[in-house]
Amino acid sequence: MSSTEPSQNKTWELSLYELHRTPQEVITDATEIAVSPRSLHSELMCPICLDMLKKTMTTKECLHRFCNDCIITALRSGNKECPTCRKKLVSKRSLRPDPNFDLLISKIYPSRDEYEAHQERLLTKLSMSHSQASLVNSITEGIKLQSQNRPQRSRKNHEESSNTSNSNGNTENAQNGSSGAAPAAPKDGSSSMSNPAPSGQSTSNPASVRSTPSPVPSNISSVSKNTSTTKRAKSILTSERSEESESSDGRTEGENSMDTEGEGEPLNPNEIELVFKPHPTEMTGDNQLMRALRDSSVRYLKTTANASVDHLSKYLAMRLTLDLDAELPEAYRLLNFCIYVAPAPGQFVPLAGSQTLRQINDKFWKVNKPLEMYYSWKKT
Amino acid sequence: MAQNINPHYASSSNPAKQNEDTIKLKDNHAVSKRLQKELMELMRCADKGISAFPESENLFKWIGTINGPQDTVYAGHKYKLSLEFPNSYPYAPPMVKFITPCFHPNVDTCGLICLDILKDKWTALYDVRTVLLSIQSLLAEPNTHSPLNQQASYLWPNQPAYKKYVDEFYNKHRDS
Repeated sequence: MSSTEPSQNKTWELSLYELHRTPQEVITDATEIAVSPRSLHSELMCPICLDMLKKTMTTKECLHRFCNDCIITALRSGNKECPTCRKKLVSKRSLRPDPNFDLLISKIYPSRDEYEAHQERLLTKLSMSHSQASLVNSITEGIKLQSQNRPQRSRKNHEESSNTSNSNGNTENAQNGSSGAAPAAPKDGSSSMSNPAPSGQSTSNPASVRSTPSPVPSNISSVSKNTSTTKRAKSILTSERSEESESSDGRTEGENSMDTEGEGEPLNPNEIELVFKPHPTEMTGDNQLMRALRDSSVRYLKTTANASVDHLSKYLAMRLTLDLDAELPEAYRLLNFCIYVAPAPGQFVPLAGSQTLRQINDKFWKVNKPLEMYYSWKKT
Repeated sequence: MAQNINPHYASSSNPAKQNEDTIKLKDNHAVSKRLQKELMELMRCADKGISAFPESENLFKWIGTINGPQDTVYAGHKYKLSLEFPNSYPYAPPMVKFITPCFHPNVDTCGLICLDILKDKWTALYDVRTVLLSIQSLLAEPNTHSPLNQQASYLWPNQPAYKKYVDEFYNKHRDS
């Protein structure tokens, strides 16, 4: 055939793949290949207990692996066949221990106890959240919160069509709850970072301000996402952590909505909600800052009533600098903010730095909706 | 995991009995652990056409739903099933029953199902997901040689008539 006369008419009967494939580059640098922990875990898992293999036993003929305890129990209680492929397994003697595999597992998961403890915790969490009672609880809780926030929110929505993220988040949460996907799952470490500061803290510190730039999802939520991605990057081989990051990923939606819910909570009398908008005439499209801010020029804040206008302009300077970061040239320091309140449409009253929010609110803002303020900025 | 925490066990005075109890308790724990893992997996990637969730606090009793398979006489129907897991799960199969009455050659009037993998062909590798998928495909392909429901078995070859009967049966019974 072809092998006898290799120079001409060379047919190796190559498959289409072999004909088209190009050789892979040899990896010589420190490149790491990421293996999804889930796919790795499925290889190291006992298909009977769904846990990591413990004292691995391999079937001699078909080479399927199980925990020692699991396969012994299975053989004792069921048919004398391989649970995976039904090949006959006469007795224990059709199995053999596979210590190399145990070693491999212990190399990949050096601290098995820790892994197991983590699994336990995850499962307890799940069992707390899976039960119907807690499901019902979380739904009623959600409905209660929604109805509490509705009047406030609808006013806000009416005013700012861009501020729909609040109510959207909320319904998402309710839907999550009713479909049974991790309803009100207990929060883990990453979510505590994403929680807005408790109100007690903000009363003690007048300069602490919570903000929600609009209409993009709050920066708060992006923090939580970041933490979970960094976590994932670190945990190529440790599915214990990956489980956590994945579950927190899955929950980000719910957490977001919880965060936004927190902002819609009935106001503490010492707190004031306000909407920051760019000054309509001074902050027009050709303004450098407006161009850089684009969609996120409207800001929603909740802060303590004793914060002063100076606090706010400092906050704005800091917040916007952080948000824009590299986009704004060094020359444009965001310092010269002027803050206005508009007691009537088109009438802008500049505010003195020492005035507190409560004074402004009492003096200018008679309606029962979030205080609206305008900012303008000029290049120095 | 209320079923794992029984103060009665802890206060047991008989040492032999206590030992027996702790073994049972441990087994029980392994079973609920496996069930929780299954639940987690089901919640993570839901299959089209089947779903399952524990009925209450008790992890050993689940309610499953199966959508009638497409392009069969059962298309568009939705069947509820109950799954009860023995303490020897997954070495022994769960007890699976139709809650929604189902007119099918291999399902009797009480909802009991004749399916080999739920009896002697069970292996520890089957889980809630595979059980429900198997029952779903049983709906599409009944075994008419050993029927539990003779009438359904006779009627099966005549698909248009069967379809008409099943639709009427389903609409009459789905709320009961």
